[in-house]
Amino acid sequence: MVLSNIVNRMLKEQFSIVNFSNIEASLDYIYNSMPDILVFDGVTASTNAVTMLNELKNDPIFGQIPVLMIVADNFFVADWEAFFVEDYLRIRDVEKDLLDRIKLCLHRSERVVEVNPLTRLPGNIAISKQVQSRLDKGDAFALAYADLDYFKPYNDKYGFSRGDEVLKMVGRLVMNMVKGRQPVGSFVGHIGGDDFTFIMDATVAEQAAGDILENFDRIITTFYDPEDRATNSIESVDREGNKRVFPIMGLSIGIAVNIEKKFKHYGGIIQVASEMKKHAKESDGSCFRVDKRHYAKN
Amino acid sequence: MDLQNLRVQIERIDTLPTIPKVLQKLLKVIENPKASITEIGDFVASDAVLTSRVLKVVNSPVYGFPGRISSVSQALILLGMNVVRGMLLGVSVFEVMEKAMVGLWEHSLGSAVVARIIARRKEVKEPEEVSIAALLHDIGKVAMSLKFNDDYKKILFTAEKNSLFIAEAEKDFFSVTHAEAGAWIAQKWNFPKGLIEAIEYHHKPHLSRNVPLLSSIVHFSDILIRAKGFGFAGDSFVPAVHPSVWTLLNFSDAEIREIFDEIEDSLGQSEDMLFKEE
Repeated sequence: MVLSNIVNRMLKEQFSIVNFSNIEASLDYIYNSMPDILVFDGVTASTNAVTMLNELKNDPIFGQIPVLMIVADNFFVADWEAFFVEDYLRIRDVEKDLLDRIKLCLHRSERVVEVNPLTRLPGNIAISKQVQSRLDKGDAFALAYADLDYFKPYNDKYGFSRGDEVLKMVGRLVMNMVKGRQPVGSFVGHIGGDDFTFIMDATVAEQAAGDILENFDRIITTFYDPEDRATNSIESVDREGNKRVFPIMGLSIGIAVNIEKKFKHYGGIIQVASEMKKHAKESDGSCFRVDKRHYAKN
Repeated sequence: MDLQNLRVQIERIDTLPTIPKVLQKLLKVIENPKASITEIGDFVASDAVLTSRVLKVVNSPVYGFPGRISSVSQALILLGMNVVRGMLLGVSVFEVMEKAMVGLWEHSLGSAVVARIIARRKEVKEPEEVSIAALLHDIGKVAMSLKFNDDYKKILFTAEKNSLFIAEAEKDFFSVTHAEAGAWIAQKWNFPKGLIEAIEYHHKPHLSRNVPLLSSIVHFSDILIRAKGFGFAGDSFVPAVHPSVWTLLNFSDAEIREIFDEIEDSLGQSEDMLFKEE
């Protein structure tokens, strides 16, 4: 109880705090309101309480809540794998360090965005947050949506691990070309599969798209075996299971711009970029298309 | 030393040193915030050691596509400027045998220039991959002289005294040549298969099964640049072109003369670009 009093006193100015005397009592609150951080009293906690904490952290949804564990001054642990916590603090340091540790914990968990496991680029949730926050601020920007042409036959012929190699290369290529044109304020995400997205100032987005396509066409051939490189095509099966000859992969990019048309929602601008990408797909080989339609001012 | 042990020793090499004048220029290039990726790329592609370092990183499992990239410009694009700058900061220089290494450095650059000219004439899709293979063909010499410096000095001395090719003297001493040693390193560093093969068979291009054209161009360039008298590969005489290469490349005398003229022009340009005083 003394500990919770100290914690409350130190944090109440800057945070809203809910106290529970044991973990059982706290779970219902956690499941319903998803707190930003948990401060766990490891000094008086039973083994059972630690097990319950670990189970909570094992759930993919709640696992992302950072946990700061307060421990006894003589606390010692041989194996940290027994504790699913992000950080710890000894009782004697609580007065001095608690506030800073909490802030650091929160910053750290903000920095850890959800990423695509293949390319380590931000994934869907991070992308939608990014787009929505720019729309909410009323920023002017271009959003591009890119995907590969003829990726499926490549995957079918060479196997998924070779397909993964291509996706990792594309992720790296898109990121470096985008950061090369606009080091600050740009964003690259991996939607999933062979779908990628990037956000930039409208003035440089087309140049970056051009860089990406030019280099993609040069690099992609090295991902084919020599005999396919020689003919510039592969034999694989189409969606109906028929044998067919497919060209070397290309990249199609659609770009939507949030200047003339003020989008309100993430879905709206993604939709336009995706339409432009479909438009780009209609022509042979790698290309990009920009939404140049005129919109009435609302 | 038995073969297994030799290979282990060679494979243990993590990084190769370059020559001092390359390092001086390198520092200027990477400290210049305005240097473009093309400028850095052209500079890296002039030095076998820097090139092998870049290819080693981009083909490492970290990036997820090992053994795929054999061109410097593609490597730099996939690594990004920050990684490239950071990686090049750690380059060191040869402290011994500097003169021999300068000769070899020029020989490697010259071979790369010739290989690019021939690749263009033969309408190879990615001429850069061919010039990189030529640039790296003697990487085994750098490795052997780094790891077995005293032995390698003896080999050079024996070769000269007995009028042997260096490869023959290497074979007498180690039972393998720099070609195999270079291929071991290339394999250890996850270089693409074709590149490994071209390094391994640059003296025996007729044995190259998967990339006969690449190996033949590297072989031919290695010899042509020696005949031109540019750089110093270590041998006091010029070896013969393997008959299979004449058949495969099928150049007329007139074409060979044109190639020599082109070499003349390109060599001048390469050196100017690299080492002009700013």
